Amino acid sequence: MPTISISLKDLSNLVGKKIGDKELKDLLEYAKAELENVDGDNVSVKFNDTNMPYLWCVEGLAVLLKGVIGKEKGIPDIKIESSEYRVVVDKSVKAVRPFISALVAKGGKIDDFFLKQLIQLQEKFCENFGRRRQKVAVGIYPCKKIGFPVYFRAVPPKSVRFVPLEFSRDMTLAEILESHPKGKEYAWILADTKKYPLLIDSNQEVLSFLPIINSNSIGKLEIGDDELFFEATGTDSSAVNLASCIFALALSVRGFKIHSIKISYTGKTVMSPDVSSSKLAIGKDDVSRIIGLDLRDSEIKNLLEMARFDFKNYSVSIPCFRNDIMHSIDVIEDVGIMYGFNKLEPLPLKTYTVGGASVLQDCVDVIRCVAVGVGFQEVFSSVLTSREELLDRMNLKKAVDVVEVENPSSSGFAVLRSWLLPGLMDVFMKNKHVDLPQKVFEQGLVSVRAGDVVVDEEHIAGVSSHVSVSFTEAKQAVDSLLRACGYDAVYDDFDHPSFITGRVAKVLVKDKMIGFVGELHPFVLNAWGLDMPVAGFELNLSGLFKKE
Amino acid sequence: MDIKTLIDTLHSLERKVLPVLSTSRTLPEIVGATGLKDIEVMRALQWLENKKIVKISTELKEVVSLDKNGVKYVKNGLPERVFITVLKDRELSISRLEKLTGLSKDELNVCLGVLRKKAMALIIQNKELRVKLTAEGLKWLDKEFLEETFLKKVFPLDIKSLSSEDQFALQNLKKRREIVKTEMQKLKHVELLDLGREIISKGIGDDKVVDVLKPELLRSGDWRNKTFRRYDVKINVPKVFGGKPQAYRIFLDGVRKKFMSLGFTEMRGPLVESEFWNMDALFMPQFHSARDIHDVLYVKEPKRAKLDESLVKRVKSAHENGFGTGSTGWGYEFDISRTHRLLLRSQGTACSSRMLASPELKIPGKYFGMARCFRKDVVDATHNADFYQTEGIVVEEGLTLRHLFGLLKMFAKEFAGADEIKIVPGYFPFTEPSAELFAKHPVLGWVELGGAGIFRPELVKPLVGREVSVIAWGIGIDRIAMFKLGINDIRQLFSHDLAFLRNQKVVECPQ
Repeated sequence: MPTISISLKDLSNLVGKKIGDKELKDLLEYAKAELENVDGDNVSVKFNDTNMPYLWCVEGLAVLLKGVIGKEKGIPDIKIESSEYRVVVDKSVKAVRPFISALVAKGGKIDDFFLKQLIQLQEKFCENFGRRRQKVAVGIYPCKKIGFPVYFRAVPPKSVRFVPLEFSRDMTLAEILESHPKGKEYAWILADTKKYPLLIDSNQEVLSFLPIINSNSIGKLEIGDDELFFEATGTDSSAVNLASCIFALALSVRGFKIHSIKISYTGKTVMSPDVSSSKLAIGKDDVSRIIGLDLRDSEIKNLLEMARFDFKNYSVSIPCFRNDIMHSIDVIEDVGIMYGFNKLEPLPLKTYTVGGASVLQDCVDVIRCVAVGVGFQEVFSSVLTSREELLDRMNLKKAVDVVEVENPSSSGFAVLRSWLLPGLMDVFMKNKHVDLPQKVFEQGLVSVRAGDVVVDEEHIAGVSSHVSVSFTEAKQAVDSLLRACGYDAVYDDFDHPSFITGRVAKVLVKDKMIGFVGELHPFVLNAWGLDMPVAGFELNLSGLFKKE
Repeated sequence: MDIKTLIDTLHSLERKVLPVLSTSRTLPEIVGATGLKDIEVMRALQWLENKKIVKISTELKEVVSLDKNGVKYVKNGLPERVFITVLKDRELSISRLEKLTGLSKDELNVCLGVLRKKAMALIIQNKELRVKLTAEGLKWLDKEFLEETFLKKVFPLDIKSLSSEDQFALQNLKKRREIVKTEMQKLKHVELLDLGREIISKGIGDDKVVDVLKPELLRSGDWRNKTFRRYDVKINVPKVFGGKPQAYRIFLDGVRKKFMSLGFTEMRGPLVESEFWNMDALFMPQFHSARDIHDVLYVKEPKRAKLDESLVKRVKSAHENGFGTGSTGWGYEFDISRTHRLLLRSQGTACSSRMLASPELKIPGKYFGMARCFRKDVVDATHNADFYQTEGIVVEEGLTLRHLFGLLKMFAKEFAGADEIKIVPGYFPFTEPSAELFAKHPVLGWVELGGAGIFRPELVKPLVGREVSVIAWGIGIDRIAMFKLGINDIRQLFSHDLAFLRNQKVVECPQ
């Protein structure tokens, strides 16, 4: 979630009303944002909605807040003056980075506040919305140094040399990817391409190696600049135009005039930026159907204009910088937000429904009670564990039925447990100093691979540890649990590497094996660092039930 | 307690020990006088002291006792005794002496040292070393050394009580290896207090007092002639740790019951889930940042889920073009292969998407799920490797944002005991409108309790087959759980600390 920092004074100037941190905290609810941190005049704001990048600068936020407090309403006007500036797009970029949008802004001044916001917006937009510059990346240049038309083309990696930003020597594009910090950071975007996108002016001066780094000579914006050239390039034509619209909005809020640029693609020419609004019809009763309010048309109009839409005859005009509107509900939510969530009277649900747990859950809960009655302390564990605990320490050489995580955060949490007993051994290992006898059980889900599917099973396992613990004790516990379920268990010889040979039995109910019981093998006790004998059992409760 | 009651509470051991205390003062004396075991006497004395009947004073004393070699020499005689007894008036070589005495080389050397120091033996240097006793030495052939006298005593001995000869012998022996050892020892003295003397004078030897109610007493009816020893009922008893449920599970059980009482039905779903149910069916675009490999845990094998392909097609269409809901959709090319990819369920909402597509869905219906979920987080005080998410849906025609607020208000009351709530606009990729709930907990203050919204039509229509209003909500109960369980590290919810589990409160008493 993007977080930006702004100056309260700067915001107040732009909105035309003094806004302190307390007022801002309340106002930010309208932007689905929170005040993160206040440091005098500097505050940071975190946006929960990742789909409204126009708000990620103080200028965009000011536009929304002016609507909320009633200083302005409806779609803000972004005036475009037509001009003769041209960007020529070579067909070589088609395979690499096919789209570009651009504009020229004049008549304002870059001051300290604005420069910071522009850089911040550029960063947040490219990282979050632009998917780390792959989908969209933007660049801003001092316009007076550029000779138009500007050319956008893809060139072989070693065919061009220039001095990248913050460097003093010239490098080839290939060298930049290898040794410039930004080159290394973003080289992955160009990993599969043979030619690299380049922006170069009519004097053969490089503006930028896209989307990596600007040139040091004409790719650097400074305080005091009053004419800017802006470009956005990427893989999605609407996203690059959106970038131009958002920057055009921010620049016009700061008093710049926006001049259009002709983009000449092979075979067609488009005017950039396209700041026209789009239209969306909403149903007459949509607002009452979704928000639960019967509002007059004039009220709906007013609320939508607060949110900086225009509204006429149930047709909503959506400003060019709002990219998040897919459906009429997206607009109607804004009606509710502007009305004020705190003013909406809650209504109780209307219909009576019967509640209930799953049959399986009720059943395992009673079995848990019985296990407690047999004298076991219940434990509850994480279901992610390690191969070492689940298999190695249990003397199991190989188990194909274990579900492994491909990208674990650590080896301690790299497999889903396929049985519960190892988790209980961990309890003993961690409590060697605690009074004996120790008896613990766990009931819970385990996950087992069965061919190409994974099955979750409800298991229960219990273990006892003290000087005279025995097979008998563990078997008595299994008998008690199954007797409570109405079953007489049958036991038969069994081999299991975790248990002492001849002291482990399989547990059968209605001729079906549902678990095992026995005395843990000294190898296993050693592996867990235990010097006290342990007897235990594990039952697959799902095996007792009919499939749900 | 009056003196009669006090006498009634005396245990049979106390009754045996108390009378002999007039004459016996030390533990060995009392053991001798009563015929009880050491441990029994100690227990009785401890109880008597607790009741202020006797006073036990402890004195630190330096005592000497026999060490390994000392025990041996008491039995076999000191090496120098063996030495002179064998040697007598003869002159013998060392090697010959070694053979005749059976002493070790070390012991022979010690003997020679001791005897020469006392001028009892001579060494004659010839071709080989030879030894003979002096006149002084011959005198001691039938006389006891001081060391021998000392070793005959009964150990342990109080060093202070030793005579000067014994002191001398002790000093000599201490220089030699492992014959004697000295240590500080606690000696207990028992003294009757006034209360004790009074009890003895009143008499306690009453054979009508019974300790244990035995079956014979009941059968014979003899119990009618007996009185029962009074117990000190205030005394602490040893702790027993029987079976007990785990506190966090009890808490979760309570939450589950609460949902059922509110008319919700439980939903379940698998731990290993497909991207389809976990995300795609929820209209989360495949490029969404929360779907990144850095956030979600993928399964190594098997890799692909079996899915209802016609349902997948509908969801694909919703992502690409809105599936006829009036929405533009996300407008990207949906990756069919990716939707089959298996991962560990990252959000409880996966249960809701399954429920909506299930033939068992009832409209109207209310559902909840308490789902184990997984994220690729580093485990610390605020993150577990896996955790519970409590989520659910309300499906009914004509639900509005105001019903959603009503539901949240009820949750705040039922799960956080909060009457005061604040609802603010929120953002979730699968709901529109979306809201976040803050509740004023009586102790914790304002708590972010959960999020909710109305499922987008692009989500509902492909799964249900038509548009219907579905309120979706999730509440964060872990903070309330931690508060109720009195813990501040989330890892303790899954604690393996047995002492902690044994002592943890599991019953929430109404206050």
